[in-house]
Formats: sequence, structure tokens, C-alpha cells
Amino acid sequence: MTNLQKKSQWLIQHFKKEWQIYVLLAPAMIWFFTFLYTPMYGLQIAFKDYSIFKGIAGSPWIGFEHFQTLFENDDFIRAIKNTAILSAYNLLFAFPAPIILALMFNEILNQWYKKGAQTIVYLPHFISTVILAGIVITAFSPSAGIVNTVLGWFGVDPVYFLSKPEWFRPIFIGSGIWQEAGFASIVFLAAIAGVNPSLYESAVVDGASRWQMMWKITIPSILPTILIMLIIRIGNLLEVSFELVILLYQPATYVTADVVNTFIYRQGIQSGQYDLAAAAGLFNAVVAFILVMTANTISKRYSRTSLW
Amino acid sequence: MAGVTLDKIVKCYGDIEVVHGIDLNVAEKEFVVLVGPSGCGKSTTLRMVAGLEEITDGTLTIDDRLVNNVSPKDRDVAMVFQNYALYPHLNVAENIAFGLRIRKVPKDEVTKQVAEVAEILGLTEYLERKPADLSGGQRQRVAMGRAIVRHPKVFLFDEPLSNLDAKLRTQMRAEIKRLHKRLGVTSIYVTHDQVEAMTLADRIVVMADGRIEQIGTPMDLFNHPKNIFVASFIGSPPMNQIEAEVETRGDKLFANFGDNSLELPALNELSGSDHGRKVTLGIRPEHIMTQADADTSSIGVELDLIETLGSEALLHTTVMDKPFVVKAETHGDIKHLENLNAFHFKPGMIKVFDRETGNVFDYPERLK
Ligand SMILES: Nc1ncnc2c1ncn2[C@@H]1O[C@H](COP(=O)(O)OP(=O)(O)OP(=O)(O)O)[C@@H](O)[C@H]1O
Ligand SMILES: [Mg+2]
Repeated sequence: MTNLQKKSQWLIQHFKKEWQIYVLLAPAMIWFFTFLYTPMYGLQIAFKDYSIFKGIAGSPWIGFEHFQTLFENDDFIRAIKNTAILSAYNLLFAFPAPIILALMFNEILNQWYKKGAQTIVYLPHFISTVILAGIVITAFSPSAGIVNTVLGWFGVDPVYFLSKPEWFRPIFIGSGIWQEAGFASIVFLAAIAGVNPSLYESAVVDGASRWQMMWKITIPSILPTILIMLIIRIGNLLEVSFELVILLYQPATYVTADVVNTFIYRQGIQSGQYDLAAAAGLFNAVVAFILVMTANTISKRYSRTSLW
Repeated sequence: MAGVTLDKIVKCYGDIEVVHGIDLNVAEKEFVVLVGPSGCGKSTTLRMVAGLEEITDGTLTIDDRLVNNVSPKDRDVAMVFQNYALYPHLNVAENIAFGLRIRKVPKDEVTKQVAEVAEILGLTEYLERKPADLSGGQRQRVAMGRAIVRHPKVFLFDEPLSNLDAKLRTQMRAEIKRLHKRLGVTSIYVTHDQVEAMTLADRIVVMADGRIEQIGTPMDLFNHPKNIFVASFIGSPPMNQIEAEVETRGDKLFANFGDNSLELPALNELSGSDHGRKVTLGIRPEHIMTQADADTSSIGVELDLIETLGSEALLHTTVMDKPFVVKAETHGDIKHLENLNAFHFKPGMIKVFDRETGNVFDYPERLK
């Protein structure tokens, strides 16, 4: 019997024996195929002069013309710059927030207080982004907003926060943290819960303070989790939460607020330039792919932790 | 000096009392082993000494200092845990150094001490490795190293060998014993393995249900168990038990069960008036003879099974519907054991326990 025959026979045996596993796998595969792989066929319009009437296949190829147009467009360059800056801020402020939160929760000894505090910070995650943005807009409103009211007590004139480009980034990052930090802390809390309790007991007997235990045991122990979350985060770096931007920005703040995804949205959906938008989207995806690969490789090399 | 004294120590978890007033004096340099069945409160007691559990009632002194409310770090004790509690992200050297680093010992001093301890434990070539890359025995040694390096007043061990395989356990047991000889540090050691207790201890504390059943040297416990619980717990295979009734014939005592009658040793606490008293006889497997002698009485048996161990064999049978084991010398051959139909007992080798209280009759005065 040849090697190939052996292998195919093994495969048949394997399927006969384990078919249930493949049935379980099927829905996920179908979902991926239908919603993530099939649409990739449409990606080709990034390289075509697309017209709805001619269809995807019928439209003529034009090479990299759309990419050229994009990179000659100052708005697109600005969107890339804004995306990069917001992503950097996100990484700097929004990424550590849930870790710090989890570490703080871990230090709360009173169980009731701990549970109460956790529930309160988880809540914003369950509010729809539209409502959340509504709350933010109301809070910062110059007329009735709580922020300006409080500032008023100190004699500060009302600030039009949401129409000032310099305020967009702090408000956006802050709202993001408010919305997601609590819920994201669950992952880290789970990681902390998984730390062997006798490590702490041993450290207590050795004379470590709570602060030392946090730095020398808790943080190193959850480092693999932090790295995995960081890799995932870096992969999604360019996906600055598009809904929140759309809901919070206005033409006056485009200078700092317009990101690649909102640019794509305005070009593609609002102006109907599907081909140009597809090119921008493809660019986004390629950059994201490179980022994930890089982060994963670096993490694998330095900490033995990696997504795959 | 650096002894440990527990005086009426009680531990409650909520409303449930799990340790019911323990009195124990551990002398300086002594190696005391707490032994007992699972859940009897050994770990809880040890953890109270370490300061990991609050003491509900009673007093604990270490080195003549009351430490009930002293935090673990100021008690100057070091503890070795069952699962070693090594920091996975630190290498062996850093793990051993942890306690010193925490105490801000100067770097040179730490390096020197770690090297010294590594030398003692044979870990020198593994100092750079992470715990994940060590064998079970090596991890165990690192855990010991972490305790030793701090030069504490007291070592506490909570089942440090129970994650090792049998062979390694024997080896590490000897190593712990040697280490104790060399360092002479007061040690309290918890185990549920009576062999470990017998081999390591200067004194053994047998616990059951949150109480101390008996404290004594290994040989005291073996030869003079205070009650039926200790008798059955210490020794392997365990002591055989036979339920019987006392019969007095003249000035001699006999125990009757089934059709059998065994002569008992003279006991001050049993007299003619105890005729018919219900007792449990305890006879160690190694104290039963396969050949009759001048002063022996015997019972007839049928062997079910012979387990050959080499120089010795275990003969299994049942007496009064209960398993009964005899350890006999093989002298290199088991032929002479195969056709045995009687076991012989010297009166002096039979322990007699009151079946009501479980206590032995004539417990030696010096052990009380
Ligand atoms: N945190 C706790 N809350 C309530 N009960 C507890 C707690 N810890 C231990 N106990 C109880 O205390 C008793 C003694 O437990 P302990 O751990 O001291 O037993 P042990 O002798 O060490 O047993 P093992 O040999 O299984 O380790 C047990 O009945 C246990 O259920
Ligand atoms: Mg225990």
C-alpha cells in the first residue's frame, strides 16, 4: 500500500469515528465562510472601476488607481493620522485601565463591597453605544451638562467640549474606558483568580506586603493573559470604536476625530464610492494583519506566550 | 529558646469548631510530626502556627514570645507547602532568594546565601532554571531551599512529600532527616503517612477529629498505643483487632472469642471482677508467631493469601469475620508458611483495649 492510500484510509476511518466533532464544528465554519470569506470576493472592486450596473465581475480592472487617489487625498491621510493617534492613546490609557481595575478589585477584602463595585463598573458595557454616547453628549453639553455646571461653580464659562477638536480625544478615550474597562477587567480577574493561593501564603510567611505581592506575584502571574490581550488589542488597533466616533464627532471636530473607518463610511455608504471605500478597507485590513503578526512574533520570542 | 508551645488552641470556622483545644510543647531543635487521617485538623493547626489562620482561642508562643496576634512575617517561621508554591516566573535562584529580597538583604549577601543553600541541596547547576523545567524532587528541594535560606527559628512542613512518587519520597525523607540533623532547626511536620511520621519524628502527635490522641516517640506509639485509634493508625500493616470477652481463671486472664481462648498478660486494671468485660485485643502482625512456644496460646486458622515481600511475607486470613494479617519471616522460602493452620500468641504481645472507651488497659505511668 502506498503512503497516500494509507493516509486516505486513515482519514476515512477518522471521519467515521469522529464525525460528531465535525458536525459540531460545522456551524462555525459555515458562519465564517458565509460572512467573512464569501464577501472577500467583493474585495476585487478595490482594483476595479466599479459600477453597480456592470456588477463586480463586469467592471473593468484599473490596478492601484484607487489607492493612488486615496493617498493623494488629505482627508484620508488625516484619517490615518487620527486613527494612529487614537490607537496609541487607547493602548496607553484604555488598555491598562481594566488591568488596574482588576488589581484594585483584588485588593478589596469586603466581599459585598467588591461585588457592588464590580457590578457598577460592568454596567456601562451593557448600555447600547448610542445611549452611552447620548449620556456623554448630555454630560458635556454647554447648557445643561453636569460638567459645565460643575465648572460653572468655579466661575468657568461653559466650554463647547464636543465641538472643540482638542477635546475630542480625551472625551473619546474617556468614554471608551468608562464603557469597556469594567467588563474587560473580568478577563484579568479570572486570571488573578487562577493564581495558586499558596504562592501568596508562602509570600506572606516570607514577609511580603500586599503591595509587594501585587508586584511580585499577581502581575507576573497574569502577564501571559495581559500579553494575549495585548496581541488581540493590537490586531484591532485600527478598529477604534467606529460607532462611538460616529456618534460623538461632528464636522467641526473632523480634524482630530475622523478615522479611517468613518472615512470609509462617508466615502462608501454616504457618497456611494464603493470601490474607493473598498480600497481604504483593504488597506486597513492589511495593516491590521501585519500588526497582529508582528505582535504575535514579538510576544512569542520574548515571553513564550502567543495566540498561535 | 526557640521552642513552640500551643496552649488550648482552638480553631473555629464560623460556628464550626474544627480544632478543639490542642496542647503541644515542641522543644528547641525537636522534630515533631503531626499525623492523622484526612480532615483531622493537622494543616489547620500548622497554619495557625504559621499565622496563616487566626487562632480562635488559646495561646501560641514561639521562643517564649506570645505570637497570637503577630503577623506571619514577624514570627520568624518558614513554611514548605505541599504543592511547593514556587513562583513560576522566577528561576531557582530567584525563588530561593525571594524571602531575602523581600527583607531587603543586600545583594551580595543574597547571592552568597543562595549559593550556600544551593550547595547543600545539590541545586547549584539548576539555579538558572524555571520551576517548570525541574523534576518533582528538584522542585521539592527548591521549596526547602526557600525555607532554609531565611534561617528561621521554626520550619513548618505541610505534607511536603505527598506529590512525589514512592521512591523519591523515601529519598527526600532521608534528605529532610539529614538536613534537620545538620541545621538543628525546630520543625513541625504534617503528614498523613505514618511511615513518614515514624521515620522522621523525634516525637509524633497523633490527631483525630481536631484532638490530640497521643504524643510520644515513634517507639512509644508503636509499643504503647494509648487507644485503639492510635494502635490502628501507627504501624504497617496495621494492628490486628479481635473483639473478645474477658474470662478470669484463678489469677490468670483469658480472652474468649468464637471457640478460641487466648491467655492475656497480667493487667493491673483488670481483675477478677472484670469477668465477661467486653474488650478489643490488639496484636501487631509482626508479634504473632507461626510456631508454638512454651507460654503461647494459639488459634486455628486457614490462610487465604500469602504476599511475599522477600525476607518477610504477609499471611492473610480472617478471624471472627475480620481481616487478620501476620508478618512472618521467610528465611528465603515460603514453603513452610503455606500449610500453616495455627497462629501462636505470647501474652505479653497482646494489647487489651476497653471496647467502651477504646483506651488501653495498663497504659504506662511514664507516658501519661
Ligand atoms: N476555610 C475553611 N472553612 C471551613 N472549614 C474548613 C476550612 N478549612 C478547613 N476546614 C475544615 O477543617 C477541618 C480540618 O481541615 P485540615 O485542612 O486542617 O485537615 P488536614 O488534617 O490537614 O487534612 P488533610 O490530610 O486532608 O490535609 C476539616 O474538617 C475541614 O473541612
Ligand atoms: Mg492538610
